[in-house]
Amino acid sequence: MNKLLIVMTLAIIGAVIFLVPPVKGMGEVAKIIFFHVPTAWVAVIAFFTGAFYAAKFLRTQDFSFDTLSARAAQIGFVFVLLSTISGAVFSKLTWGAYWNWDIRQTSIFILILIYGAYLTLRIAVNDEKIRAKVSAVYSLLSVLTVPFLVFILPRMYFSLHPAPVVNSSGKIEMDSIILIVLLAAVVDATLIFVKLLRR
Amino acid sequence: MKLSACRLAEQIAAILRKDFLIGIRRRATFAAMMFFALTTVACLSLSMGGVSLAPNFSAALLWLVIFFAACAGISGTFDDEANSGTLTTLKLYADIQAILFGKMIYVFLSLIMLAIFIVPIFVILFDVDVTSGGVLIATIFLGLIGLSAAGTLTAAITVSATVKGGLFSILLFPITLPIFLPAIALTETALTGTGFDADLLIVMTIFDAILITASSILFDYLD
Repeated sequence: MNKLLIVMTLAIIGAVIFLVPPVKGMGEVAKIIFFHVPTAWVAVIAFFTGAFYAAKFLRTQDFSFDTLSARAAQIGFVFVLLSTISGAVFSKLTWGAYWNWDIRQTSIFILILIYGAYLTLRIAVNDEKIRAKVSAVYSLLSVLTVPFLVFILPRMYFSLHPAPVVNSSGKIEMDSIILIVLLAAVVDATLIFVKLLRR
Repeated sequence: MKLSACRLAEQIAAILRKDFLIGIRRRATFAAMMFFALTTVACLSLSMGGVSLAPNFSAALLWLVIFFAACAGISGTFDDEANSGTLTTLKLYADIQAILFGKMIYVFLSLIMLAIFIVPIFVILFDVDVTSGGVLIATIFLGLIGLSAAGTLTAAITVSATVKGGLFSILLFPITLPIFLPAIALTETALTGTGFDADLLIVMTIFDAILITASSILFDYLD
């Protein structure tokens, strides 16, 4: 599994550097999108995975679920930071500013705040049992905000964020290369997440 | 332990009465919340030289003041019992849901008093024109319900934490964002009198209901 992941990751990096054509008018740096999209994806699934294991912990009181929930949050926190930074670089290239409180930027920032709050709560409680309980409760409470923010944010902030699939030019064959590499990168990042979670 | 609705209401009333008596006898928490709000408003107004602000700034500042003053006031909702070691005893005497709702109503009433105190001061110091008072009152009312529900559960979450002050606000802020963002937008429309979006009031109401339900379900697991 480890070797396969390393080969896959290297192959994707190779494909991004040599196979994918430069994005029109933005140059090579715009290829950061192949890093940004997968990290953002993992940041989001890690959030829901954490909440899922939190619910399982509360139902079963099995501490291995608490460990998984905490690990999902730790991985998610790293990935959300990576995604935010790479997104800001891409934003500078396309919109001319690192930050402008776009809907996606706002939501990812809220995700950083939730991860930060959750991890701070974990280090602030010493008793293992209480820590597991309170962090599971907080994890589930924070998930409740998601559907509301999805509804509210687009009403309050204007979005410039591109549609999920990057389109570099009108040519179909180019799009398909980009799409395949991007999807492969997303799968690769997901596998890395699963690997880190189950280590 | 299943209780009849009547018995539950009695217990909630008893907890509410107990907290009011403690609140009146030791006025420190309440006074701290009020003066925290006053200090923040005075600080903001002084630092800006008493200029009146654009409605969107006023709306955001008002909710910031309410949020942080509320944090100062309600973070220690369970501390009295936790410090004196009586929380376990209280759980023996009363149903756990009665404790939650008793505390939640107490927090809500304290926040209402906070709003009655600070909103007029804010309006005067920042020379704010309130065009639609009804919208403002409805927004504050719905906002404070959600803040009380989320705040009471967060206070229960942080009761065993070693760091409290900062932790409470960083935990509460992300989960109350679906209340704050519409509340700020609605407060702005209450000041300008234009662009009223009834959907946002509905969103706040639904989120309040969800927060109350979720608090009730999740509080059981904290036992």
